Amino acid sequence: MPARHLIVGGGTAGINAIRTVREEESAKSEIVLVSAERPYSRMVLPYYLDRSIAESHVFTATAAVLAQWEVKTHLGRRATNLDIKSNTCTLDDGTKVEYDDCMIATGSSAARAPVPGADGKGVHSFWTLDEARGVIAQVQPGTHVVMVGAGFISFTILNSILSLGAKLTIVEIAPRILPRMVDDAAAGLVQGWLEKHGVTVRTNTAVTAIEDAKGRKRLRFKSGGDLVADVVIMATGIRTNLEWLKDSGIAIKRGVVVDDHLRSNVPNVYAAGDVAEGKDLITGEAAVHAIEPTAQEHGRIVGANMAGKAVRYRGSLLANIVEVCHLDAASFGAWEDGKAQAVSGLRPDRPAYRKLLFRGDRLTGAIILGPSSDIWTTNDVGMLKGLVQSGVSLGPWKAHLERHPFDIKPAYIAARTTGTLLPETVLGRPSKAPGDSPVAV
Amino acid sequence: MATLTQIPTRVLKITPTRCTGCLRCELACSYVQTGEFQPAKSVIRVSPFEGHTSYAPYTCTQCAEGWCMTACPVGAITINAAGAKDVLDDKCVGCKLCTIACPYGTMFYDTSTRKAFKCNLCGGDPACADACPTAAITYEDVATSDWLADFAAERGQRLLTINGGGR
Repeated sequence: MPARHLIVGGGTAGINAIRTVREEESAKSEIVLVSAERPYSRMVLPYYLDRSIAESHVFTATAAVLAQWEVKTHLGRRATNLDIKSNTCTLDDGTKVEYDDCMIATGSSAARAPVPGADGKGVHSFWTLDEARGVIAQVQPGTHVVMVGAGFISFTILNSILSLGAKLTIVEIAPRILPRMVDDAAAGLVQGWLEKHGVTVRTNTAVTAIEDAKGRKRLRFKSGGDLVADVVIMATGIRTNLEWLKDSGIAIKRGVVVDDHLRSNVPNVYAAGDVAEGKDLITGEAAVHAIEPTAQEHGRIVGANMAGKAVRYRGSLLANIVEVCHLDAASFGAWEDGKAQAVSGLRPDRPAYRKLLFRGDRLTGAIILGPSSDIWTTNDVGMLKGLVQSGVSLGPWKAHLERHPFDIKPAYIAARTTGTLLPETVLGRPSKAPGDSPVAV
Repeated sequence: MATLTQIPTRVLKITPTRCTGCLRCELACSYVQTGEFQPAKSVIRVSPFEGHTSYAPYTCTQCAEGWCMTACPVGAITINAAGAKDVLDDKCVGCKLCTIACPYGTMFYDTSTRKAFKCNLCGGDPACADACPTAAITYEDVATSDWLADFAAERGQRLLTINGGGR
């Protein structure tokens, strides 16, 4: 009997796992996909919102592709229970799916701050395709949009909202914006840039109520005047979709605890993406990295392991980038490490900023900010990622970076970063192009 | 079912000691890639060493992992007939994930088109190699490699010793 793989969740991790199983297996297995939604990429929803792509562009694996991959699907269904003794997953319509191995990749959902009125009409989240549809219908030129929460979700859709001609106000309970993505100095530069581009930013501002106001919405705050908005977007964080595993026997801390093969405490149950608590490449500690690259790598590693390849995962590198009004801000690795030696360079007028964090003579974290039109901003983004990812010993070049934090390239090249990285692959072999999968088996 | 074809192995080999810093590669690259003679739009970049007395071109190695390709959420980066990782413009939405995935700093982003772009080996006839008058850039059937490290370490070391690397 062929092996039966069950993939729970049709997001990035799920689709990468399916592709990789088909790439790696030596005998055709049975793959079942359970997904509450049709597979699409959350990363591209902002471009759907600003109408630069059609809705059809967001789908990652269409019905035709899934059929070509010979995947049996339960779309529009949620898993409600996992019985690890009988290897059976129960769905919300009562269907029972038996498996030989299973991957949990149920992702996360938008969480709304517990404020009266936060669930009312005209108050939106922007996380799923359905939620994106709800927002896109409401935003017109002149619409006043208030985003509650100045984190990653807000910043991915900020450009789209502005490009639609809407007026934008961002309110944040913390003293500063982007608290989980960049440090205070970079946050200050981004905030100044936003204000220069007509965005109103209110930090230290706690929403106390969201009320109806003659077809519009009135936001009340702990301090400061009310705001009246046409559209309110609650971007107050995400929570992992793991309630359904509560009594399953799967060990969960901040996420499903996984080993270096991404197996949970139950050997034939894997976890990937936002729900997995795996190794951080830089710190070596357990962490949930709810970011796209981690979901991709996790999915591919699990797919290879399901196909019998026994591939070890080195750990995931925290990496984020946002672009706001043609200003790029990115961070890598342990950029918040208080024990690291930090040097920084600041050019407030451009604005441009680099913060480099060292442990010994290795770069373990970095923050970079600069105009997208500065070509070297994008190149430096990649080189900083490479320095952190490779962990090359900088030797005398550390002193160079300390003196010249904007002059990354000579240090990058001379420290043999390229040569260190070239043999590195996630699956231990060259990657295949998206069009080459599935391969014939 | 797709059949896998043999992936070509020709790559851009860089011999930095031959580079004169003439920037013809950048002009040729930008012209073929974008239709403009504009080094700012080139995806091969000549870097100065030793206070602008030595130079070396730096570009995508077409690495085995293809970090840009595996990171793209919409499958907009593929492998072209020359074996190069290539951005498909009609699929790229401009999300910049490839720019934080590529650990070599060889992804580029065009702010006017909102698309990522990179070295695609000009589909198998790289303009930079054609344009290079000293054969510092050649298109050869060899394994890709870290062409610049030894050169950069040696040339850089002299400068580091004198003033900590400032140029």
